[in-house]
This record gives sequence, structure tokens and C-alpha cells, in this order.
Amino acid sequence: MSTFLILLPLILTLLFSLATVPILVWMERRVAALIQDRLGPNRCNVNGIRLGGIVQSVADMMKLVFKEEFLPSHIKNKFYYLAAPSIAFMSSFLTFMVIPYADNVTINEQTFTMQALPTDLGVLWFLAFAGLGVYGIILGGWASHNKYAILGSMRATAQVISYEVAMGLSLVSMLITYGTISLNEMVTYQSQSFFIFPAWGIILQPLAAIIFIVTAFAETNRAPFDAAEGESEIVAGYHTEYGAMKFGLFFVAEYIAMAASGALIVTLFLGGYQLPYLSTQDLINHFELVLWLIITFAAVTSLLFLAWVKKHNILVMNGLNETKIYTTVIVGFTLFAIIVMSYYALGFGNASTVGVMLLQFAVFTVKLFFLHFLFIWVRWTLPRFRYDQTQKLGWNILLPLSLVNIFITAIVVVGVNYGN
Amino acid sequence: MGIKVVKRHGGTFLEKMYVQAVFGGMKTTLKHFTANLSDASNIPTLCYPEQLPTDITPRYRGVHRLTHRKSDDSIACVACFMCATACPAKCIEIVATEREDGVDEKMPAIFNIDLLACVFCGYCVEACPCDAIRMDSGLYSVIGDKREDFIYDKAKLLSIKGISKEEFSLAK
Repeated sequence: MSTFLILLPLILTLLFSLATVPILVWMERRVAALIQDRLGPNRCNVNGIRLGGIVQSVADMMKLVFKEEFLPSHIKNKFYYLAAPSIAFMSSFLTFMVIPYADNVTINEQTFTMQALPTDLGVLWFLAFAGLGVYGIILGGWASHNKYAILGSMRATAQVISYEVAMGLSLVSMLITYGTISLNEMVTYQSQSFFIFPAWGIILQPLAAIIFIVTAFAETNRAPFDAAEGESEIVAGYHTEYGAMKFGLFFVAEYIAMAASGALIVTLFLGGYQLPYLSTQDLINHFELVLWLIITFAAVTSLLFLAWVKKHNILVMNGLNETKIYTTVIVGFTLFAIIVMSYYALGFGNASTVGVMLLQFAVFTVKLFFLHFLFIWVRWTLPRFRYDQTQKLGWNILLPLSLVNIFITAIVVVGVNYGN
Repeated sequence: MGIKVVKRHGGTFLEKMYVQAVFGGMKTTLKHFTANLSDASNIPTLCYPEQLPTDITPRYRGVHRLTHRKSDDSIACVACFMCATACPAKCIEIVATEREDGVDEKMPAIFNIDLLACVFCGYCVEACPCDAIRMDSGLYSVIGDKREDFIYDKAKLLSIKGISKEEFSLAK
């Protein structure tokens, strides 16, 4: 049991970063399609089962994996050329290691941290590895020995360096507010109330939140800051010369970096795994009431979802009857979950600690996916910034704003502490 | 006077911050997203092999057809080679022969169109003096297993029906 609890955050890190990539690609394509009044990928199927199109991203992944590994003959530094995608991938993957997925769990007098890397230096780790991600891009662009690639990687470098400053400074104001650099303590801090609102970072520090979210977009090289791969000007930017799984690693790294940034935004500004107004202790004390609420919620949402599936799953594929299978699976799963939950809700067993931990995982996942949706939504709304506009926004607007924010925060924090 | 002063946008501080514009744009895209998610039937996408297009008009340049004469339903073509000459892809092969039934003097013995070489430009239809070749069949998909399947011969071209009201050749 204790080994499992130690390994659990590691498994979750793998799930949140690697396993969500196909889902994110699917989400990106489907959301983009719906925004543009299209349908998106909906045909790829395994014996008639399409899972709403997720099978398509699995098929795309398989294609990338089984493609021929191609090495352009003009490349002189093969080692750097091959190392670049792995650096980009590793650094964005390692960024995830410090995110707390749930509060510390105490079972039999033993406390387990729900971070893959149980360190108090979470923010510093994030900054270090988020900055390292661009090294993969620089190295890839340089080792490709291609003008477009080097232009793309130069753009990425300049952009990340400019935005790192504003990002670090907006983080400083959050550190002053929370008075700690441990991510888990920050989340605990956010379970308090601020007047009538939950004391989430976005309510305490709206300016820092906006600056951080904007800089996070720039750090992950996502639209509207994706000049590094501006296909209208420089073909594909830094990954012009890459193919097969080497390109795949760059591609996956972008999504994992997005997931990691989203996870940090959730942790810093959206209360992490906390439900608003409810601290971990409250949840454990009123666990039965919470369970009844979840049971109602599960029943209502699965019924709504079933109605939606029945209305929209009209394309008839060869093979199994999709709607029937989905209905069976959803109804079966919901009933099973309700039975298990009512067993504990009626007081037959006590699993409040583990139950609250699972609830916090779920809350974190929901918030993380909301952030993913935000990233995608912004990408398909805003056009790409011109390169000089990017730099102007970073240095002329975001940097002074974050400096002003630090001053104001420091004055308020000192004033409040002095008043007390 | 006739001078209209156009109000310039984007000069004020509020507009320069782009916040309003960004949120306005995001509101628009979210509206599309939620509307399409709650009711996907409004999406104009055609699920092609199952749903077929309904908006093909007689002016659509589809697969060619050879028209018939209204008087006796025989072939309208007189093998004048105008279409084959006008064709930029050189995809029309005609072998002329004498017409024995007294309706006209000449007719094609062989009339082959190689649809793999054809660029569907419609020049043959414009060149034809007898309204004998037309592209108003409305057929947009040509399918075959081998190259020979795409060479449409005289019998095949004569058998294709048009979707316009004018079934027969209009030439006198």
C-alpha cells in the first residue's frame, strides 16, 4: 500500500503528460472544428468504435512511430540533431514532476506527498525546466543546418528569454502573497476565503494571473506566440528538417509543455486541487454528504451525456453498434460507481482519506482540462503576433506591469502584516 | 462636400491594450463552439459517401456525354474533329467513318475520351458545332481499377444521361 502511494504521483505524472497527448490532439482538432463550424476527425474506427474520434490520434501516433527514420545527408552534427528532440521532450516532461495532485495523505501515521518529486522548491524547478525546453529548440534549429530552422529557433530563443523575465517577476508577486515557494503550501493557502470569494490566486492577484497566463502561452510557443514555427514565413521553423518520431517528439513536447504550464497555472491561480471554500479537513469531516452530492452529480451528468450521444451519434459505421455499447458502458460504470459510493456514504466503511484524495485528483483533472480548453480556444481565436509585436508586448507592457505589481503587492503585504 | 471622414479605430489607450478585442473574439468563437456542440445538425459539413451533394447544376462540368439526334435518336456527332483539335490535353481520339443511313454524311467509328488525361476544361463542348458533346452529366466521381476503365468509348458516352432539361442535341 505504501509503495503504491509513493508511486501513485509518478503514475499520475505519466498519465497527465504522456497519456493525455492523444486526447489533447483530439481535443485540439475537435474544438477547432466546432469553432470553425466543421466536424473534425470522426471516421477512424476500430470495428465501428470511434470514441468520438480519439482513435484518429492513436492512428496518427502509430504512423509517426512506424515511419522510416530519415537522416538528411547534409547534417554534420548527428548527435546534436538527434539529441534536440529528446531535450525538448524531457524538459517539458520533467516540468510536470513538482505539481501536487492532491493534499498530503496521512494513512497509519505515515504521510505521503502527492507530488512526483517531493520537493519544496517547486516553483524554481518549474522555472528551470520550462526555460530548458527552449534549448532543445535552439539545438534542433542549429543542428538542422537550415536557414528556416535557425530562424525559427532564433525567434523561439528571443521570445522565451523576453517572456521569462515577465514570468519570473509575476511569480515573485505570487511568492510574496503566499509567503512560500512550496507549491503544496500555496494550494493549502488558497483553501481560505477572501471576503466572500475563495482566496484563489486569480482573485488575490488578477494582474499577475493575466501576465503569467500570457507568458505561459509564450513560453510554450503556442499561438498567438508561435512565430517560431510560423508556417507562412519559415516553412515549419525549428522542426523543418525533422521527420517521423523525431518530429513526433517535438510535437508531443509542445503538448506536454502546454499541459505542464496549465497544471502550474491551476496550482498557482485556480486553487490547485481545492474545491472553492472547502479545505481538505472539511471534506474529510463531511465525507458522506460530499459522496451523496457526487452520486447525484454522476447520475445527472451521465444521463445528460447519454441523451447527447443519442442525438449526435448518427453516422452509421460498419461493425458494432456504437450507441448501444456506449450506453451500456456509461450506465454500467455509473451504476457501479454509485453502488461503491453509496456503500461508503451509508457508513458501511470508512475511506474518507482515500476518497478525498481521489476527489482532489478529479478536481485537479477537471481544472487542468479547462486550462487545456483555454489554450486551444485562444489558439483558434487569435491570429499570430508579428515578431516585433511579441517583443514589444513582452518588454514594454508585461515587464513594467509585473514590476508595478510586485511593488503594490509588497506594500499591501507589509501593510497587512504590520497591521496585525 | 463629398468627403466622408472615416473614424479611425485602435488609437485609444483602451484599444491599444487589446484586452477588449481579445475577449470579444473569444466570445465569438465560444458562441460558435457551444452552438455547434449542443446541436451539431447545423454544421454544413457533408459526410460524403453517406450523404451526397444536392447542389450540382447542369452547368457543372462533369463527365462528358455524346448527345442523340431528336429525330431518330442516332448519334449527333459528325466526326468533324473540332473537339479533338480544341482539346489542350489531347485526350479525345476520333476515327471517322462514312454514314450509311442518309441522316448525315459522317459519323465517328471510334470516339474515345481518356478521362485520366482530361482536364475537364470544357473546350470540347464550346468547340462542338453540332451540340454533340456535353458535360452536363453531373457525374463528379470517376472510378476504376485499371487504366482502361478510364477510357470512355462511344457506346459508354452515348449511354450517359444529362441532368439538364435538354436531352437531345439542339443542332439542326
